[in-house]
Amino acid sequence: MTAAGETANGPTRDTAAAPLLACAELTMRFGGLVALDALDLHVARGEILGLIGPNGSGKTTFFNVLTGLYRASGGRIAFAGRDITGLAPQAVYRAGIARTFQRSRLCLPLTVFDNVMIGNHLRLSRGTGFNVFRRRALRRQYEESVEAARALVVTFNPQLAARLFDAAGALDMIDRRRVEICRALVNAPRLLLLDEPSAGMTRGETRELMDDILQVRAARPALTIVIIEHEMNVIERMTQRCVVLNYGRKIAEGPFRAVAAERGVQEAYLGQAVA
Amino acid sequence: MTGTAASRVAVHSQRTDLVVAAVAVAAIGAWLWAFLATDRVGVLATLLAVAAVAFVLAQRLAPRYRRALTARPRAATSLVVLAVCAVAVALRDQPYPLLMLCTVLLFVVACVGLDIQIGHCGIVNFAGAAFFGTGAYTAAVLAARGVPHIAVIAAGGVVAALVGSLLILPVLRTRGYYAALVTIAFGILFSTFLEVNDALGGPQGLKLHGIDLFGWKFNRDVTLGGTTASFYVNYFVLSLALAVAAFVFARRVERSWLGLAFDAVRLDEIAAATFGIGVARAKIVAFTLGNLLCGIAGAVYAMMQGFIAPNNFTFGESLILVSIVILGGIGNPLGILPAALIIVVVPQKLQFIQEYRFLLYGVLVVLILLFRPEGLLPRRIREYFPGSGA
Amino acid sequence: MDAGVLAQYVFNGVMLGVIYAMVAVGFTLFFGVLDVIQFAHGDVVMAGAFVGLATYLALHALGIAAPAVVVLVVACAAGLGMALLGAIIARWLILPLRAAPAFNTLLVTLMLGSILRELVRLFYPNGSNPQPFPRLLPSASANLGHFTLRLDTTLLIVTGLVTIVIVNLVVRRTRLGLAIRAVAQDSETARVMGIDFERVVLVTFAIGSALAGFAGVVYGLYYNEVNFDIGLLLGVIGFSAAVVGGLGSIYGAILGGFLFAALQTIGSVALPVSSAYSNVFAFAVVIVLMTWKPTGLIAEPASERV
Repeated sequence: MTAAGETANGPTRDTAAAPLLACAELTMRFGGLVALDALDLHVARGEILGLIGPNGSGKTTFFNVLTGLYRASGGRIAFAGRDITGLAPQAVYRAGIARTFQRSRLCLPLTVFDNVMIGNHLRLSRGTGFNVFRRRALRRQYEESVEAARALVVTFNPQLAARLFDAAGALDMIDRRRVEICRALVNAPRLLLLDEPSAGMTRGETRELMDDILQVRAARPALTIVIIEHEMNVIERMTQRCVVLNYGRKIAEGPFRAVAAERGVQEAYLGQAVA
Repeated sequence: MTGTAASRVAVHSQRTDLVVAAVAVAAIGAWLWAFLATDRVGVLATLLAVAAVAFVLAQRLAPRYRRALTARPRAATSLVVLAVCAVAVALRDQPYPLLMLCTVLLFVVACVGLDIQIGHCGIVNFAGAAFFGTGAYTAAVLAARGVPHIAVIAAGGVVAALVGSLLILPVLRTRGYYAALVTIAFGILFSTFLEVNDALGGPQGLKLHGIDLFGWKFNRDVTLGGTTASFYVNYFVLSLALAVAAFVFARRVERSWLGLAFDAVRLDEIAAATFGIGVARAKIVAFTLGNLLCGIAGAVYAMMQGFIAPNNFTFGESLILVSIVILGGIGNPLGILPAALIIVVVPQKLQFIQEYRFLLYGVLVVLILLFRPEGLLPRRIREYFPGSGA
Repeated sequence: MDAGVLAQYVFNGVMLGVIYAMVAVGFTLFFGVLDVIQFAHGDVVMAGAFVGLATYLALHALGIAAPAVVVLVVACAAGLGMALLGAIIARWLILPLRAAPAFNTLLVTLMLGSILRELVRLFYPNGSNPQPFPRLLPSASANLGHFTLRLDTTLLIVTGLVTIVIVNLVVRRTRLGLAIRAVAQDSETARVMGIDFERVVLVTFAIGSALAGFAGVVYGLYYNEVNFDIGLLLGVIGFSAAVVGGLGSIYGAILGGFLFAALQTIGSVALPVSSAYSNVFAFAVVIVLMTWKPTGLIAEPASERV
């Protein structure tokens, strides 16, 4: 516990040995409700970590605090040796953390390309003068971006590349999820947060999407992933290590099989089921 | 062989496309001329009916011929500008229709500004008339002090943007209904303030002189090649230039990364922030640009009218500006011109409607929102460089 | 300042606060069940005042002059008329737009307000000018130094407060109120539990709008004058009061109403500029308050679900 605290508060370190993400005593309170209760959690470089726990155990809240949507009530977050506690969502993204949302948050009236480019916005020229008056330069940037988006989308689904300029709302659920992941990957983040990627999909679709994610991961060995899931076979297949949350506390940690065998974990889930 | 045949077909279809576009624009021009020139109720009703039928037919044919207009945006814009100019030439000795045309064009400028705010960035602004009025009153005050008119027009826009910046903080901190409340309160505050402020003429308002740009006196009739045209032709030239500039500007903003950022902020502020988009910055840029356009339009409008009073800039007028944006098709600057024509001209033509115009617009907008919320010309999916094949 | 003068200001402020609270309660009820803001609510108040006025003129023409009867009939006509109007608004304008973006509801209700204003201005005889509203209440008064305790105003304050309490009791203590609160908590679950969602919405709008109708009559009896455009200010202040008190809470709405009345009274007394600016001041206060506490002084506890 103190070790994680030291990483967070001590001098900046970004060495291969140090964890990529280290949270120390992270706490999030909403009025009287404690959604995260002094959570200590670290994610190693290149790891795929599963985050599981019953509904309302604080998993999504953890993502929201991490990405700066909520301001933590207490504790520190260190990312790549840097203290990112309390940074705005934009700054967190700039630091290299990208995410997907549990309920799809694509801009449905916009094209697939536009949605992917929302993730790429930091690399695009944002000045009003540039965008309005330097159309030639903008066009060059646009054409490069189309190629980049196409290349990224193709790694998921070659057919999706042909639909680059269709409205995202015209796609089915699995393709929307793919676009969401493309949007999160386009800025080449170091840490990818996936919030229940299987939600709203069939088992077959889920398997297909996981294949895609593993394939993407194989092409980017340095990419670290934290995945929230309720589908235990997904967790078993995808992750090397799991953290189990209940009432905002970490109740278990380790490889999925070992964690699933723990009595406390079973009780947490059963308690949920009974209630 | 097949290649050349195909390219010949392509050239041929391009040529027919252009012809179709030219015919359509000529028809629109003729219609516009008749619409502005007539003062007979029967003729006006017929023209509106014709327009409705043509609109429905155009909707049917649109997929085939839309290409003709969208493939060459510059050619299409020039054709429309040409048609409007031809209408102005045909109406050159009729001051009243010309004045209406100028008013429509200036309303287009203001509504394009509002559309950037509401339709693109999702900032509800129910104080459009207040920013228009800020430009107008700025013009009245500065012109009376002998400031050169080119600077007066620019100042109209800048002061409107500055007054808008007073509202930036409330607008950034509030959303949805709360943001609407802020702008409604500001809109009413503005006209109430003008009513009670004696320095700005109180309820009687202020008088202005005509525009004088580097010796080009706008309020003098124009004599060219033996024919004399009403002095409103001067205002027409300026208003048209402003409307075209505003339109091209809005189009370019939409078809750029800036437009993408606006859309992202409007559709999902939280997701936009999560992906690094500066939500506050996007809103500030959109709000300022919109108010700037409203202010410029207001300044020219004031000098053209020669007289302004608080009841030109009430909350009701703000609702009219929003009605134009909604009727035209929210987010599509192309729809603003026909919408402004209908909303500005019809009540002027039908004097017996004039008194009922707020009521009729209210009913019209309610019906649109219930039955065709996307407006006359719905916004289309973004193409950054239309006609480029990408 | 003289104690009597001060008491007079407080007294008048309380009267104003009662009117604002009556309007704000409607906003808060509607927001509770449907998460919508009915921006025409202020104009419903105005319409209520005019229905009351027209009823009075009709009774007058019929030769009915007993003040107690007249007041009762006028108030009932305004309340029932606005209840009907509220239900119509909910049925034909608000419910059909449930699935549409909030902006559309916002705009529809704004336009509805404009329609109501224009209908009165155009079709009420001489409607574009302020109309005298009859003094129907006993005008006895007691003078205590500089303080004049007027019986009619006292009656209005008491009646206004009683109607608010009645509405509150209906919402807290009856089966109907239980259904309203269930829908406000979670409309999906309420529907599953067999609550007729649409009926609850219509009834809620009827109750809130009836209260607005009463508020219109109270306004008329207090100022002895009504105009077609009073709804704009009443709507903006009523909404602000509801927001400041925390949308969805009836007590908050009452608190917000009195807070606004206090601010306006202080503004008209303490501001160095002429009292003509008091409305400018009121609107500026709205903007400042919204900036300071964008979701109200009693903030909504739950933030947006991500």
